[in-house]
Amino acid sequence: MASPVLADRPAATPDGPGRRRRPGFGRRDHLVGWLLITPALIYFVAFLLYPAIAALYYSFTDWNLRSAPNWVGLANYTDLLFDDVKYPHFWKSVQVSLIYTVIAVPLTLVAALGQALLINAIRRGSNLFRLLLFLPVVTAEAAVGAIWRWLYDPQYGLINAVLGWFGIPPQNWLNNPDLVIPALAFIAAWQCGISMIIYLAGLKGIPLSLREAAIIDGAGPVQRFRKVVLPMLRPTTFYLLVTGVIAALQVFGLVYVIFSAANKSVTGGPEQAGLTYVLHLYLFAFRYDAMGAACAMSFILLVFIMIITALQFKFVKQEAA
Amino acid sequence: MSRKVAGAAAVIALLAGLTACGGGSDAGDAQTLTFWMYQPRTPQAGQIYEDLRKGFEKANNVKVKYVQIAKDDYNTKLSSAIASGTAPDAGVLDQPLVSRFALDKTIVAVPDGTITESAFYKGALDTNLSEGKLFGLPLDQTTVGLFYNKKLVPTPPKTWDELKQISTQVHQADSKIAGIVVPKGDGYGAWMWPGFVAGAGGEMTDDANKKVLFDQQPAVDTLQMWVDLLPSSPRQITDADNAFANGLAAMMVSGPWDVANIKDQFPDLDFNVAPLPYKTEPAGNIGGENGVVFSTSKNTALAWKFLQYITNDANNAKFADAFGGYPTNIKAAEQTAATIEPQQAAFLEQLKVAHARPAVPQWIQVNDEIIAPALEKALSGKATAQQALTEAADKTRSLLGWNS
Amino acid sequence: MKKVRLAPIYIALIVLAAISVVPFIWMLATSFKHGPDVYTKVPSLLPLDRKTGEWSPTLENYEYVFDLSGLGTAFVNSVWVCLILIPAKLLIDALAAYAFARIPFPGRDKLFILMLGGMMVPTITLLVPRVFVTQELGLFDSQWGLIVPNIASVLDIFLLRQFFMSLPGELEEAARIDGAGRMQIFWRIIVPLSKPVLSVVTITSFIFHWNDLVWPLVVLNDPEKYTLPLALQQLATAEAGRAYYIMAGAAVAVIPVIAVLLVFQRRILQGIAFSGLKG
Repeated sequence: MASPVLADRPAATPDGPGRRRRPGFGRRDHLVGWLLITPALIYFVAFLLYPAIAALYYSFTDWNLRSAPNWVGLANYTDLLFDDVKYPHFWKSVQVSLIYTVIAVPLTLVAALGQALLINAIRRGSNLFRLLLFLPVVTAEAAVGAIWRWLYDPQYGLINAVLGWFGIPPQNWLNNPDLVIPALAFIAAWQCGISMIIYLAGLKGIPLSLREAAIIDGAGPVQRFRKVVLPMLRPTTFYLLVTGVIAALQVFGLVYVIFSAANKSVTGGPEQAGLTYVLHLYLFAFRYDAMGAACAMSFILLVFIMIITALQFKFVKQEAA
Repeated sequence: MSRKVAGAAAVIALLAGLTACGGGSDAGDAQTLTFWMYQPRTPQAGQIYEDLRKGFEKANNVKVKYVQIAKDDYNTKLSSAIASGTAPDAGVLDQPLVSRFALDKTIVAVPDGTITESAFYKGALDTNLSEGKLFGLPLDQTTVGLFYNKKLVPTPPKTWDELKQISTQVHQADSKIAGIVVPKGDGYGAWMWPGFVAGAGGEMTDDANKKVLFDQQPAVDTLQMWVDLLPSSPRQITDADNAFANGLAAMMVSGPWDVANIKDQFPDLDFNVAPLPYKTEPAGNIGGENGVVFSTSKNTALAWKFLQYITNDANNAKFADAFGGYPTNIKAAEQTAATIEPQQAAFLEQLKVAHARPAVPQWIQVNDEIIAPALEKALSGKATAQQALTEAADKTRSLLGWNS
Repeated sequence: MKKVRLAPIYIALIVLAAISVVPFIWMLATSFKHGPDVYTKVPSLLPLDRKTGEWSPTLENYEYVFDLSGLGTAFVNSVWVCLILIPAKLLIDALAAYAFARIPFPGRDKLFILMLGGMMVPTITLLVPRVFVTQELGLFDSQWGLIVPNIASVLDIFLLRQFFMSLPGELEEAARIDGAGRMQIFWRIIVPLSKPVLSVVTITSFIFHWNDLVWPLVVLNDPEKYTLPLALQQLATAEAGRAYYIMAGAAVAVIPVIAVLLVFQRRILQGIAFSGLKG
């Protein structure tokens, strides 16, 4: 979706210290403030806060959606983590999502940065290329899944045909457990347009004087990239990394579409190689009658995301050098 | 000032309008019966449903409202409808769900005297059982058979040995062509597998005595047979879109729904369907749908009347055909048999020896999460058939809490 | 000298652009092919006859998906939902963001932080409880059930708030001295100055809701009310193995979004760039 701004803009805040009560807006100003946020607040309470609390409650119950939830305390959490008879693929799905994240996020960032650097280097046609490279982002997951399943077809697919020109033997992309995640990650990188645009903005923000100084120091293009461009892009990369990891850990729609219609079964592809965490969660919620366990899975994911995000804030450099 | 008022008024009007304009779908009133079913596969099928509906409405002076949903999304939607209290009066239910829904009283038992049990195929009727009682009427049934390309396979194999032999011959003659599309270790393959196991004289479980049986010799032999087919049937070929229909694979295991697909899309393909090859006795699996009545319905009498109507001698053949399956009513099946296309005959024949799935509430999970991975493990060579199945059977025992 | 150095860059860009675009071209080509022509040993980017190799496109697939699969109805539904949802959402988000950015009412910042926290909960968790709320409001299985539960977005409020905070306060004060009220300032000053970010929110919302599959999947039952992604998913499962129908359906879903992108491309792409971090 939209790209939020993590760091506050250090801009003029008219309600800063000493201006708290600006003359003119009167006492009813508070009321206007509350009035303006009321619709958003109703939405927040009804569709975020209440559902989150309800889901937390269900995570402590055994619930099949049909009869009343049955309180089981922490059993869902302990069973998910430790009972591999009841939940044989829990850790497998954790592994699938982690590997997907580790492959897809860097691949997307590299693709996006590469495209941004190339576009930034030209003037004529840069709008056109920017537009073409952005196209995949706007495509519905349902359509992306259908298109790529067809592209990856082992006999009739375009991918194998193109690889054939370079002497690479045809691969069975979506049916070979070793290739499923790379194939999915490639689709993610294909859709890197938003990251590319954000990188482009970052590149435009690098002061010309810095580059010129580097040139005067005798730095070549590679050195300039390493010593000036990359460090200056750090805040952008950090933002894309954090949001990218959060999104990758929750990948669902694409795998659902790719593996449901292709194999007439939704169990996550060959040897569960495409059984991502959220796909697994979805199956428990709607196929295996275990909504309580599914809710517990989502809170485990929430805690995990918070930890990963906090670790990134702590250990990844985010300020421009 | 006017702007301010207008802005606020717009927001309030918007919210008021939004909350006022909604309308949920409730279970129908006394005169309207809501019936959930799958989306029609073809326009012709849709017309048959319409005709049946009109016939029932006229005879009983009531209204029937169909809600038609894509098969893949049906269960997800049904779950959220039940959870939110908007279940229909009656609906179609996938066979393995009946025992689950019966157990938590989401659906009601068939009232005594609704049907004559002997009028139905036993395999199909049995899929409605939960703790010895019927909880639905079988609407249609289906099974899988062996599709074969007549050009590559002049006479279809009857036994496993013949199957392996023909598969090898085909692949040896042309290495670009696979012998057979070997089923996969996924939910779908795990659904077909018991039909082969029964063909070796085996069973998946013994429900009454709480025994898991799919680690025994017949099941192990079956899985080994699939593994043995792979060298002459490489996945690289068979995973292509429509590998059989495009002539890339000489045989495949599939259901009647593919007969129409192939005829319509690949008119040049000369093919036929034979019953599944077996080891010791002819057998097959069974799939299909049952009709159930939800416990929240205020119209149960009318709902059962409608289910009787679509399963009776006169209508079941039409309904089942529109569904893409075969009648469950024996008299209706005789009509179907008289007019059937040659490619369809094998399925109907095989349904006489079809075995119902274990009536275990967790069966879908066992199927997806335990059996499917075990099949895949053996098919990919990561374990022997015996190892994979022993492990799977042990897991199933612990999951179900069975001792043997 | 300069031109020589640019040549490899253009070549690389052309290759990358091809990777981006060829899947769409292949989708279109497949959608115009006769069924059996789809399965050729050498994939063709043009609708050619499989035997003669002659130019032989067809519109049958489009006729089929429009007539029989309900894609036509779904298209109208999607347009309708987006036409109501997007403006309403934009208004609600912008008003709230304005209050969060500019009006110092008590408890404001704590409330904002609470809302940001809510944003971290995975949406999939909230799915079923949201269905309950939707049901309680009487919106289950209706198009209002697609609109109301999506009527605001914390992410968008966050983005808009950041932007509003960066606008210079002097203009606002000048307007105040001229006697303008909060709403007048909002409409006359804030909105005109915020066009880039408002268009970003509009477009990203449109892309998201036009393409959303999961929420409509659980909230809608009646196929008459389906939106495009749902109808497409239904088509893809019902017609599995008929790539030409599925690709025609995909084209119907994708083309409107591409059209919107083409029309607004300058604004969107600059807007997104703007909303990103400054390096």
